[in-house]
Amino acid sequence: MADVAATAPSRAGARRAARARVLRRIARRPIGIAAAALLLVLTATVAIGPELVPHAPSRTNPLNVLQGPSPEHWLGTDELGRDVFSRILSGGRVSLAVGFFSMLVGLTLGIGIGGAAGYFGGRVEAVLMRLVDVFMAIPAFFLILVIVTSFGNHPVTIVVTVGLGFWAQMARVGHAEFKRFRTHEFVEASHALGGGHLRVMTRHILPQVLPQATVLATLGVGWAILTEAALSYLGLGIQPPLASWGAMLQNAQGYLWRQPILAVWPGLAIAITVLAFNLLGNALRDVLDPRS
Amino acid sequence: MTVYVVRRLLQGVLVLFLVSLLTFFMMNLAPGGPSSLIDFQSTAAEREARLARFGLDRPVHERYLVWLAGAIRGDLGTSINQGLPVSRLLAQRIGPTLTLGVASLVLAAVFGIVFGVIAALRRDRWPDHLVSTVTTLGMSVPNFWLGIVMIILFSVQLGWLPASGSYSIGRGFELGDRIRHLILPAGVLAFSLMPNVVRVTRAALLEVLASDYVRTARAKGLYERTVLIGHALRTALVPVVAMIGLIATVLFSGSVVIESVFGWAGIGRLAIEAANGRDYPVILGVTLLAGALVITVNIAVDLLYAAVDPRIRHG
Repeated sequence: MADVAATAPSRAGARRAARARVLRRIARRPIGIAAAALLLVLTATVAIGPELVPHAPSRTNPLNVLQGPSPEHWLGTDELGRDVFSRILSGGRVSLAVGFFSMLVGLTLGIGIGGAAGYFGGRVEAVLMRLVDVFMAIPAFFLILVIVTSFGNHPVTIVVTVGLGFWAQMARVGHAEFKRFRTHEFVEASHALGGGHLRVMTRHILPQVLPQATVLATLGVGWAILTEAALSYLGLGIQPPLASWGAMLQNAQGYLWRQPILAVWPGLAIAITVLAFNLLGNALRDVLDPRS
Repeated sequence: MTVYVVRRLLQGVLVLFLVSLLTFFMMNLAPGGPSSLIDFQSTAAEREARLARFGLDRPVHERYLVWLAGAIRGDLGTSINQGLPVSRLLAQRIGPTLTLGVASLVLAAVFGIVFGVIAALRRDRWPDHLVSTVTTLGMSVPNFWLGIVMIILFSVQLGWLPASGSYSIGRGFELGDRIRHLILPAGVLAFSLMPNVVRVTRAALLEVLASDYVRTARAKGLYERTVLIGHALRTALVPVVAMIGLIATVLFSGSVVIESVFGWAGIGRLAIEAANGRDYPVILGVTLLAGALVITVNIAVDLLYAAVDPRIRHG
């Protein structure tokens, strides 16, 4: 008993020191902080912005089509006279939401299935990892095409589909990490104390994998936003009347010779958002996962 | 060695079989599967005739077996929308995709290795920071948007390069014309593939440069250039070669989009046309072909890997 009492405060102290070390490392990465701040601003803007803009994103005006930027329409108007700025904001809402939830789908499936394969080993591992191989062999975009053509392009389908596009990569990481930790002493100790598989996996191994998963998740949101934009650009993603950055680009490509600037805005919005996620992901990797 | 290749090929065939199983059943069991092709204004007899023509009047597992029996003999079925054999459509479209793919892979590898080496040799100085900025941009900028911006710049504004297609219609084969059409799509695709090559090259070279045998080579008084090219780079390129297998999957995904941006009549464009027209046999064929190419590239890379790195022997 005395031992426990003596080590408890020092463990808390060690934890506090570790946290301070992480905070110091974060402070030395201004780009990561800037990226995080930018993402907060972007999220807030697309969350409340569409409620504040003077022009509804889907209000057409046949007398005012393909205009350049003006004080009335900050980024101009599209081929139906809709305000491009409003559409960028409401498209951003869709993009960020799809990106975030797709990442959740991919991460949960990947860590769950890959983790189970690594943890149990043997036949479970053989079967599950062969499944991962199959998904790795199909280029993500073809898989997404197959699913979208079969199940249609309801927003929820898009989210699940894009998530399925990268779960296999996450599964590789989950597999490697769970395999690495399963023989560690703390896992054995938990088993000895009567901890079941689920408890060991979620309470003991998962927290060890969390830093790497956070990095993957951040980069994954960027990947998912890019993929959704590409799908919508090809006419297979989010459907009108919902605005989406990819679909705006596709429309704009028809007017490259009349109003080229129209094709610049949605792409710029995608690039800035994805760049922010990538920069934040890289900074997080430096801070949380110094091994790689 | 032969045993190894045969085993890998068999594994590849197994994976392809699973891919076909997954794709076929997903498409056929989904709501709005091929049966949705039926035109409801037609009479019942017409509908049944149409279903029978595509063999859709039979249960799904029987259809799969029929399809599989055909596929083994090289018959991948008939396109619902175009009425042509899927294998012929694939044969028509594979050429442009391979041209685009090989061109962008070569560009990405050459520039990626050069930039990776520069970044490693000037570590933490401005060339390194510049390269890392460019690669982060390459990962973040959507390649289809970059394609559109390049069209605006080089086709609309400057008029130097064609905006679309893989050759000028009405003219015979001219190498110059083909290359002019290839520059923009291959360049854009290469730009999005390059970041991976740069990162792996930089990391591998930095690791090798810190190793003992490089120090020995330098201590022997060899020229820095000899050390770099003759000793360090050879070893550093091993993981880069391995990377190319991974890039192949990214390449096919990327070419689907880029082919659409530049009106390039390849496999990717065919896939999009099929997806928009719900042409299931074609989608299945395209997916299998992409999977087969990815598997082939990976086997080739593993063999190349053994050739570059004498420590690896495939028994």
